[in-house]
Formats: sequence, structure tokens, C-alpha cells
Amino acid sequence: MKSSRFTATAAATLVAALAVAGCAGGDQEGSGGRLALTVAIDPGLEQGAVDAFNARVAAFEQANPDVDVQPQEYKWDATTFTAQLAGGTLPAVFTAPFTDGRGLIERRQVADISGEVAKLPYAKGFNAEVAKAGQAADGGIQAVPIAAYGQALHYNRTLFTQAGLDPDKPPATWAEVRSAAKQIAERTGQAGYAQMTAGNTGGWILTTLAYAFGGRIEQVSGDSAKSTLNTPQMRSVLKTLQDMRWADNSMGANFLYDWATINQDFAAGRIGMYVSGGGNYGSLKAQNGLKPDDYGITTIPLADSPDAGVLGGGSLAVVKAKSSPAVVAAGVKWIDFYYLSKLTAQEQAVSDAKTSAETSQAVGSPELPVFDRALHEQRQQWIAEYVNVPVRQMKPYTERMFDQPLVPEPTRSTQQVYALLDPVVQAVLTDRGADASALLAQAESQAQALLDRK
Amino acid sequence: MTTTAPTRQAAPRSAVRPAVPPRRRGKRRGTGLAALLFLLPMFAVFGVFSWLPILQTAVMSLQETNLVDTPEFVGLDNFARVLDDPLLWTAVRNTMWFAFLALVIGYPAPLVLAVLMNEVRRLRGLYSALAYLPVVVPPVVAVLLWKFFYDAGPNGLFNTVLGWFGVAPVAWLQDGGTAMVSLVVESTWAAMGGTVIIYLAALTRVPPELYEAAEIDGASVWRKVWHVTLPQLRGVLLITFILQIVGTAQVFLEPFLFTGGGPANRTTTVLLLIYNYAFASSLGGDYGAATALSLMLAVVLALLSALYFRLTRSWSTT
Amino acid sequence: MTDRGVLSSHDRRNPGVRSVIATVQGLLLGGLLLIGLGPVLWLAKSAVTPTQDTLRAPLALWPNGFDFANLVTAWTRVEIDKYFLNTVLLAFGAWAVQLLVAMTAGFALSVLRPRYRKLVTGVVLATLFVPSVVLLVPLYLTITDLSLINSFWAVWLPAGANAFNVLLVQRFLDGLPREVFEAATVDGAGPLRLFVSVVLPMSRPILGVVSVFAVIASWKDFLWPMLVLPDPAVQPLSVRLPALQRFVELDVFLAALAISTLIPVALFLVFQRLFLNGGALGGAVKG
Repeated sequence: MKSSRFTATAAATLVAALAVAGCAGGDQEGSGGRLALTVAIDPGLEQGAVDAFNARVAAFEQANPDVDVQPQEYKWDATTFTAQLAGGTLPAVFTAPFTDGRGLIERRQVADISGEVAKLPYAKGFNAEVAKAGQAADGGIQAVPIAAYGQALHYNRTLFTQAGLDPDKPPATWAEVRSAAKQIAERTGQAGYAQMTAGNTGGWILTTLAYAFGGRIEQVSGDSAKSTLNTPQMRSVLKTLQDMRWADNSMGANFLYDWATINQDFAAGRIGMYVSGGGNYGSLKAQNGLKPDDYGITTIPLADSPDAGVLGGGSLAVVKAKSSPAVVAAGVKWIDFYYLSKLTAQEQAVSDAKTSAETSQAVGSPELPVFDRALHEQRQQWIAEYVNVPVRQMKPYTERMFDQPLVPEPTRSTQQVYALLDPVVQAVLTDRGADASALLAQAESQAQALLDRK
Repeated sequence: MTTTAPTRQAAPRSAVRPAVPPRRRGKRRGTGLAALLFLLPMFAVFGVFSWLPILQTAVMSLQETNLVDTPEFVGLDNFARVLDDPLLWTAVRNTMWFAFLALVIGYPAPLVLAVLMNEVRRLRGLYSALAYLPVVVPPVVAVLLWKFFYDAGPNGLFNTVLGWFGVAPVAWLQDGGTAMVSLVVESTWAAMGGTVIIYLAALTRVPPELYEAAEIDGASVWRKVWHVTLPQLRGVLLITFILQIVGTAQVFLEPFLFTGGGPANRTTTVLLLIYNYAFASSLGGDYGAATALSLMLAVVLALLSALYFRLTRSWSTT
Repeated sequence: MTDRGVLSSHDRRNPGVRSVIATVQGLLLGGLLLIGLGPVLWLAKSAVTPTQDTLRAPLALWPNGFDFANLVTAWTRVEIDKYFLNTVLLAFGAWAVQLLVAMTAGFALSVLRPRYRKLVTGVVLATLFVPSVVLLVPLYLTITDLSLINSFWAVWLPAGANAFNVLLVQRFLDGLPREVFEAATVDGAGPLRLFVSVVLPMSRPILGVVSVFAVIASWKDFLWPMLVLPDPAVQPLSVRLPALQRFVELDVFLAALAISTLIPVALFLVFQRLFLNGGALGGAVKG
């Protein structure tokens, strides 16, 4: 079928195509001979938020007359990201979740901006555990953290009350989580505790729990990494889940939750407790119309172990791979000007909070400091006027979140290892006879094979 | 993705002879150029937007790439890695199970519907519009609704109905044993409309004389269906059958939307695995592995289709 | 030319048969209403129901009243009027390209029958074996190489490379009586006349099927247009709606979906009338 004529035609087409696109490669020229800098903007924002964004663009251009900032709609999505990466059509500055930061850096899919970042006045001031998500192996910051959160235990205060539990005294140990879940399931008929299991979130949450029990899922030493999925801590996590699922029957009937669906069922009052990012309130309210009175959040119970900690997450700002030095410099300026000033400068923090509040987005959901705690608390005071979340109900979390050690996500093949854990937790929750330790051993050897491939 | 027709895809070449075989072969001089001209739009569009990307896919299957730097040729490494993946055989098994279930549940349903609908004398347009509506329902809505239908708790719609008959709640999507069947039922609902209208269009071509002749012989309704309707639809049925096989071998949307391959990989299909290689497991993922597995799948489907046409050819001539 | 199916008019006069027909057709209509209209009505209901009611009691009818404001919010927030035109233009172009490619190719392969037809059919068929998901990146690279980003052609042209349509049309034309073509040729009709005056009129049912598939697929398609049309000014509703999902409540989102679903339903009814009526074919195929 591949006649030479066809190949020739195809080749001719390709050549013609490449000729058309021949000028790609160098810097794009913006209007008026300025350097063009495409920057990500969330698609689907309300007009007020778009206007605010454009105002920032204008202010940046005024401060940097040689740069033409061009907003480009961009949303983190694995499918489109891959295509745009290959096509070189990503915005010059875009954002990515912590989970993917180290992978992007290792695979050289983002530009090395560490030189420019080091020049920023606060370059040394990043919260060390937060900054790790964007650090290359040599310690240079190639992806700038712009927001951070810790995992938390979200709970439904209404279900707590109905079950005869005190919503102001949420569980503080895993034994209390288990008994509260049982009580909720028995008295309200809803799931006492539910857990994400699908689309790599199963691995994400299992890892969170393993950290809380004092475990880690990989050990990195120099260039080599060892997978440690089959640990006593992970086994006791799965044992706890098995007990809640099969002995207590307190986990409801749905075991294929991902991030969006567990939020939906929580907002619908079908779930007593679940583990997810501490800043989740915003999307629960905005998308699923969560009743604010239902909402409660507390810290994840940590085991009595020096290694027990809270898995952290957040967002990174990066510059696209193969950008010229001029674009890298302008890009880091934009990251500083647009993203970081919201955290460090009063005027920007206030106007950002005001825009969010006016376009009915949540202001004041719990976050962790990207820099230090003092600056973080300072900022909370700046924006206090615009806070529109039930702060009092968040106190069980916010009052203790700083006491918990923050542990970064695993750094090697993060998503792939999470993907290997999904079926483990699904098996434990859907198959009474599942042998957790055998499943873990199998996942561990597969994970090791992945780590060895590097 | 780009232009997926609502039904399962694919079709054969010459499985069936035309209703009336050509009397003379190779007649009509001068049609050579005309044929070429008429094929031109197809050659242009397929050449650039289908054949060329497929060739590029084949090249990519021999490369390792981070999609940014110049790719590196790695020989058959990608193929070896895919064949080493313990999930591959799970995915193959699951896909075959889906294909089998879809054949049993999904293949006859639109045919029965179309034949029944063809007998309707008044408001036939309403019937076919109704049958086609599920195709129009936005996937977001379908997911919301079916997740509620399949809710494993006693309050799920299907479990409520079972409860009326004293049947204990079924876990549907949440149970390795029933998850795939549940997906097949949903996908039959979602895709049936397209096939129904193909059958309806074909039924308009059945010559009434054939029924009349059968009636003169005193044929019952069943015999008319069996000896007139179905044989007359044979050409279309042969296509939709292989469409169905090729389509179900590439089933992706249902497990992707409803189970993500769970529980515990019981609904992980070959295409879901390809998607995960390319997009989900890591960023800018393992495109080499994804293209390698795609090519292997394509070869299997090509062999299967060739075999199918060979078999049906000998069958249709007897 | 009687329009009939399996049952003859004699059958239909038989009271026994009539009651069976009535029962079967009643069940058929009921079933189709349930599985076809049901979900659409649910969508319509949810469009004017508060989010919490939809989530907590999906099948209850307005336990806490209506929320008609959803429709207005959806309309203004999504700017449906603005994106509607793009949706229609994209669907129209994709439809035209698909029809052109499928009809000309089907005609050439089935009626003109060049010697290499089997080879061409095979190569067209082969495109179905390669999963489209993996073609995403190479196809996208082709589009960027051709500088078609933000151009409707980036959606229209790849839509034409649809083997399903070509083979469907080819198979349909294979089934038409060849005497008609030969008679026309004997009367001196060239290939173009044959195509326009004989084959196209006889192809109405298959034109209808391909049209419906093309338009609905275009209306639903989301991933590809999102990739190749990054500029919101040229995006269709199918791309704008998911973009908004993160920022609007479920009820508003469902209201927007409900409004936008009216479009394909209306289009289906139009095509249905134009092409798929059984009687429309009668005169053309009298053999």
C-alpha cells in the first residue's frame, strides 16, 4: 500500500507544510517590534476576572515597554498538554500541579529558569518543603511555587450532628475516624468515610495516608530510587480501609471515585468524611453548590511516629521549553509580577481577593505559606475584608495545620506509581478476599521496574 | 476523536456482490481519468489528515521522545516494553470480553428496533428521532444519569427497581463481575441510534415485490423477516458486524468516563491502556509505547478483517 | 409504488394481527420515549432545578421549587448567542466536506470502478484500525505545520478523512441497480452527469445518514476543536461549555447544556424531513 508515489506525495506535502511554517523557531515578534510573551489565562473566567487580568497585563507592559503580553487560554489537561507540548504551542508561561513538577523538569519539558529565579529578591525565602516540588536535582528552582496546600480531612457537619457526633470535635486519630465513620453509616445511612480511587487519585490518597501513618513510598539516594510500597505503614493503611469497608461497612457503596465525583457526592451530603486538598472548599461551593453550613475540615490524624507527616500539593508556574533567554527573563518577570505579587504585595493581594470575591470565587480557603508563616498571616489580614468562606468551621484545620510536618510528594515517576496503586485500593474496597500485602508486593516490583528505567 | 461517527466504525470492501452483478467487466473507456478526478478530494483529505499522521505514528513507535527535543530511534524497544507490561494481557482479555458482550447485547438491539420501526405507519419520523436522541445527549449528562442509575447503594435507580422484586442491591460498576456488562448496556444505549438509522435507510431499499412474492407462497410474518428482510439487509449487516468488531476492539469512552478501568483493572481496555501510556501516566507521557501498542492493535484488526472478508465471501457466494 | 414493510395491507386488516401490532408499537413507543426522550427531559428538568436538588434527588420533580434564573445565567454567562454561530459554521463546513469526500469517492469506487478500487478501499478501511486517540499528536503537528491553528479548516478538513462515511456510501451505491447507470451511460451521460443527475438523487437515504452523523459528530466534538481553535472568538459551544465547568454551578452548566442540545435536536428533525422519510426514495429507485 505504501507505493513510492504515495510516499513522494506525502513527502512533498510535508515539505510544503514545513515551508509555510518555516519561520517558527525564533522569538515571536509582538506588536510594535516588542518581544511577544504569551501567558496562560484560565478559560471560562467571568468578565470581571478577565478585565482584572487584562489590567494586570497593561500594568506589566507599562513597566516593561519592550514586552507585548498576549494572554492565551490554557487549562492543565493531560491530553491537550501533550499535543501542545509537541506542537510548541503552549503559552510561554503556564501553570502545572505540584505532582507533575519534577517530571516536567526531569524530562526537560520546561525551560531552566533557575538563573532568573535566583535573581528574585525573595529567592531564598521559599518555604523549603514547598519549593522542593519545583526544584531540579541540583536544587535550582525551575518551577516556581505559586500556591500550596496540605491534605486535610473534610467532613460533613450536618451528618456529624445527625449521627450524634460533635461537629466541633472532629476525629483526631484514625481509630476515631473509624468509629465516627461507623456511627455515621449506622445512623444516617450515608457513607461514613469515602476515598478516591480512580484516575491516579487512588495512589495520591494512599500515599497521603501512608505519610500520615509514618511511611514513605520511595527512597531516593543519589541517582537510584527504591520503591517502598509494601511497608508496614502502607499495610496498616489498607488494613484500616479493609476494616472500615468489610467489618464496619461504613464506606458506602461507591468505590470508583475520582476528584470530581467524590466532591460531587460530598456536596450532595452522601459522604461523612474524605481526604483531599485543604483548599477544596472553593470548588465544592462553586461547582456543586455545597451548603456552607455542611462544611467542616480538620487536620489529617497523624500516627505517633517521627516520620508521620502531611502530603502537600499546590501549583507551579513554569516557562515553556526551548524559550529564548529573552523570553525566559520576561517570563520570570511575569511570574513575579502576576503570580507572586499576590502573595507578597498588599495592593496585589487585595485587588486579587476583591476580584475573586466579586466573581463569586472563594476567598480565604485554607492554604499553606509559599514563603514563611509571618508573610502568610500578614496576607490573611490584608484580604480579611473579602473572605467569603465559613472561617469558623475551618478552625479545626487552620488552628493546627502549622503543627503538622509537610512532606513533599514522591519525586520519581510520581503519576505512574500512583497509577499502580489505584488498582490496589480498588481491589481492597471491592473484593472481600483481596490480599493487600500480595497486591502491594506486586505493585512495588512494578514500580521498581519503572524507577530502574530512568 | 475528530470525526468519530456515532456508531462503531469500519466497513468492508467487497464482502457482498452488488445486488445486480455488472454485465460487462472493464467497459466504459475514459472513465479512468474521471475516476481519478472523483477520487481527488478523498486522496487529498485522507493523504494529509489520515495517511500521513498514520505514517508518523509508525515512525514514532520506533522512537523515544519527550516531545520537545529531537526524538531518538530506539528500534523495537517500545514494542518490547509494551509486550512486557503485565497489564497488556489484562487489557486484551477485557477488550475481548467487552467485544463479546457487545456482540450479544449490542448487535441485535438496533436491528430489532429498526425492523419494528419500519412497520410503523404513522409518525415514523417521531420513532426514529426518539431512537436517535441518546446519541445527542451530551456525555456529561449521560455520565451523571447513568452513574445514578448504577449507584451501588439501595437508592440507585436500578437497585430501587430490583428492590420492588425483592432482589438485593447489585454493585454494578463497583464490582469486577458486573462492571463490564454495565458498560456494555450503557454503550448500547449511547450508540444504538446511529445504527438504527443506517438500518432504516437500508430497509427503504427492500423491494416490496419480494414480500408480495413471499406472501403468494403463504409465508408467515416470521418467514418474511427471515427470508426477505434479513437477506436483503445482508450487505449492511455484514458491514455493521465488522464495524462493531473494529469499534469494540477500540472501546475507550465508556471505561474512561465511568470506571477509569476499575475496579482493579477489570475494565481496563486496550485503548484505555494506550491513552494512559500517552497521556495519563506521566506527562508528555510514553508516546512511543502508545504508538507501538496502537500499531499492534491495528495489525490484529487488519488480519481479523481480512479473515472476516475471506470467510464471508465464500459464505455469500454459496 | 407502495410504501410497505414486512406486513402487507392484508395483514394489517386482520384483527388479530392488528392488536399485536398495536401492542408491539405501543411498547416500542413507550420504550423509546423512556430511553430516548427520558434523558433529554431529565436534562430539561435539571436545567431549572437547583444544584443541590439535582445531586441529592436526581429523579425528584422540583422538591424545592424551580430555578428559572439558571437559563438566563447560562445564556449570558456562556454567551450562547455568540458561540452559536461558530457552532453552526463548524458543523456546516464539516458536513459539506464530509459529503463531498464521501459522495465523490463512493461514486468513483462503486460506480466508475477503476481497477485499483480494491487497493484504495483497503487503504481507506485501514485507517479505521489505527485508534484515533494516538493520532492526536501527529495530526496536531500536521495542523500546526500547515498554520491552520485558529482556522475553521483545521476542523473541516480532518473531518472529511472519515473512512466510515466513504465505506458506507460505497456500500450503499453498490446496492443500487447497475442497469440504471448503464442505461444513462448508453444515453450518453458522462461521469459528471451520471453523478449529479442519476446517483445523487438516488442517494438520498444515505446522504441523510451521513449528514446526521456529520452534523451531530461536529456538534459533540470537543477535544479536537479545543486543540486547534485556542482563540475563544472562533470556538464552538462544545468547547466553551467544558471550559466554564470549573467556574459555574452544576445547575447553570446543565442549563447551558440543555439550551445547546436544542440545536442538534432541531437539526436532526430537519434532516429527518429532508432525507430519511421512507417515501422520499420511492420514485428514484423504481427499477
